[in-house]
Amino acid sequence: MRTDRLLIGLGKGLAVALLLVWSLVPIAFVVVSSFKPGRDIFAVPARYRFTPTLDHYGALWGRWWVFVEGLWNSTLVTAGATALAVAASTCAGYVYSRNAGRMLGASLLFLIVVRLIPPIVITLPLFPIINALQVNDTHLVLVVLYATFFVSLGTVLMRTFIDQIPRELDEAAQIDGAGRLAILRRVIVPLAAPGILAVAVFVVVFAWNEFLFAFIFTGTRTKTAPLVISEMIGSIDGVDWGILFAASTVQLAPVLIFVIVMNRYLVAGLTAGATKG
Amino acid sequence: MTDRTHRALTRRRFIGSTLGSAAALAALPSWAQGRRLNVLSHAVHERVLGTGEGDLMAAWKAANGVELVFTTFDSNPLQDRLFREASLPATDFAVGYIIDNRPTSEIAKLFEPLGPLNAAAPIEDFADIAPGLIQGMTVDGNLIGIPVRHATQGLFYNEALLEEAGIAGPPATLEELVEQARKLTFTSAAGTPVTGMVLASDLAVFPVMFARAFGGDFITGDFRLVPDRAAMEKGLAVLRGMFEAGALPRSYATTRNDDMVTWMQQGRAAFTVLPFARNAQLNNPEQSAYPGRIKAIPFPGSASLPAGTPMASVVEAWAMVIPRNAADKELAWSFIREVASKRVTLGMAINGNGPVRVSSYADPALTERNPLAAVEASVLATARGAFPPFPEAARAQATMLEEVQLAVLGRKSVPDAVTAIIDRVGPMMP
Repeated sequence: MRTDRLLIGLGKGLAVALLLVWSLVPIAFVVVSSFKPGRDIFAVPARYRFTPTLDHYGALWGRWWVFVEGLWNSTLVTAGATALAVAASTCAGYVYSRNAGRMLGASLLFLIVVRLIPPIVITLPLFPIINALQVNDTHLVLVVLYATFFVSLGTVLMRTFIDQIPRELDEAAQIDGAGRLAILRRVIVPLAAPGILAVAVFVVVFAWNEFLFAFIFTGTRTKTAPLVISEMIGSIDGVDWGILFAASTVQLAPVLIFVIVMNRYLVAGLTAGATKG
Repeated sequence: MTDRTHRALTRRRFIGSTLGSAAALAALPSWAQGRRLNVLSHAVHERVLGTGEGDLMAAWKAANGVELVFTTFDSNPLQDRLFREASLPATDFAVGYIIDNRPTSEIAKLFEPLGPLNAAAPIEDFADIAPGLIQGMTVDGNLIGIPVRHATQGLFYNEALLEEAGIAGPPATLEELVEQARKLTFTSAAGTPVTGMVLASDLAVFPVMFARAFGGDFITGDFRLVPDRAAMEKGLAVLRGMFEAGALPRSYATTRNDDMVTWMQQGRAAFTVLPFARNAQLNNPEQSAYPGRIKAIPFPGSASLPAGTPMASVVEAWAMVIPRNAADKELAWSFIREVASKRVTLGMAINGNGPVRVSSYADPALTERNPLAAVEASVLATARGAFPPFPEAARAQATMLEEVQLAVLGRKSVPDAVTAIIDRVGPMMP
């Protein structure tokens, strides 16, 4: 019996270890390679001992200034999209949580269905419209698109979180003379803060890494960092792997730190409503 | 009424207004800008024009009071964006860069015919631009693009590995190349397992080069599919034999263009086929374990070819086009004329661009800096595209590569693969 438990425990440990190796090795390779001298990155036999260098980061700064601009654009777009998506999702989630009806139910289903449509299906027909509106290559278009794309999931998440807030609190506030907006601001938002943060985490990760919309709708002024990285992989004059890995590390770091810090909210978002009876 | 006019400026309103204004300013395009020319290109096209004191376009910009704004993408996304922009009722991009195997009749209609513009305000010494490249940009009798860059394929070899294997010099014929590649499939003194040759499996360039080494081709300029079946079979049989002997990587089916560069830089392969322009990267001391030891020669033809038959290497060229829906075509043409001038062509060549003018190769300013200039010029003289542009070209290439891979990996006999290429690609031909 004890042997069985030991074997099961070992098996689980091995599975977790394999999973960690599978997911961490590529990231570790990229990060470590960004500090390796260029000629050692793909050396065979592999060189595990090397003198770390910041040369690739220096070259990234000097030769790919457009990447730094891309990071700034990514930051603006991510911040804008997160604020908009969180605000819209919270308002919509509140409405869905506190009201019922066939039309509302149908519209919620519609939100979920819309989320399942592949982005490319929406993207290409939007191209001439965005051009005609002359908002191509603006931060605004990406902010609105990213937020729109995430409002459906955000709404469903927020509804689940708000469902867990007792309606009696709304009623108590109502008796004290608070309107819908005041209840939302003073009662629901503070209590649903973990849900808001969970939605924010999802939007930040999505907006920071998004490529397709940015590729279609940006040009010179608002090019985001993932687009610049894709240019570094360009095939005309060859890839400078050291610089590419340095850029990938810089691109990865903020979102990795953000996700680690917000980890518990992310888990809360993923498990929201899981224990609802 | 009183309420509205006497509203105090609260902290919340102030912050709200500030954020709103900032967002509006960030979102909307700036109106306070001078004359600007938007160019859609690859980053390398912008880079070779130089920056700061080395900006080759500085005088033109100053003379015309123009700000040049490049929007850059990788090759395929760039072509995709260019065609999409040119399909709109209007585009902000006045100049785009196009690859020579893309302009079909339909695509060519999206761009301004440049013949009349060149007649009215001619490009300096137009006849100096390689005629083959001009031909590639002439569709249905209309010149739609001015060549600006070419990448001509050569045979790169690692001199140090050849020496280590006791080989006196690079091959003069395809048969010698195969023999040397087999000898060079060994473990080097550095402990690195060396493969004779590394080739990507996802580009038509390589099977086409091997077919041409025997006087064959995939699709000719006048749209003849596999004009010499025996030559194509011989070419594929050589590739198959090399794979069988381990002189091509075991990972051939997944080997890509960038692997070729990395393998050569690390001494994992002794030979490869790449554009001459890659010479600097292959010998870059910061990346390569063999700086200065990776050399290039023209890709050798088979000894079975009649004496004097030139080996037609594969060349890919880029050209500048003006979308028909662009607003300022006059300014766009002025830009193109300047970029195509002798001075700028030479300057770009010094910055690593494949020059489209014959005279650039004779200029000491280039030959002193580029040791391969003379070789590249000689190869360019007989080089041509891997296949001509036509609507189904991408699918034809993919089909051909599928059959080539099956043949090289031994999943299909070479004659069967060639038959399949002819049968499957035939219906796609224009």
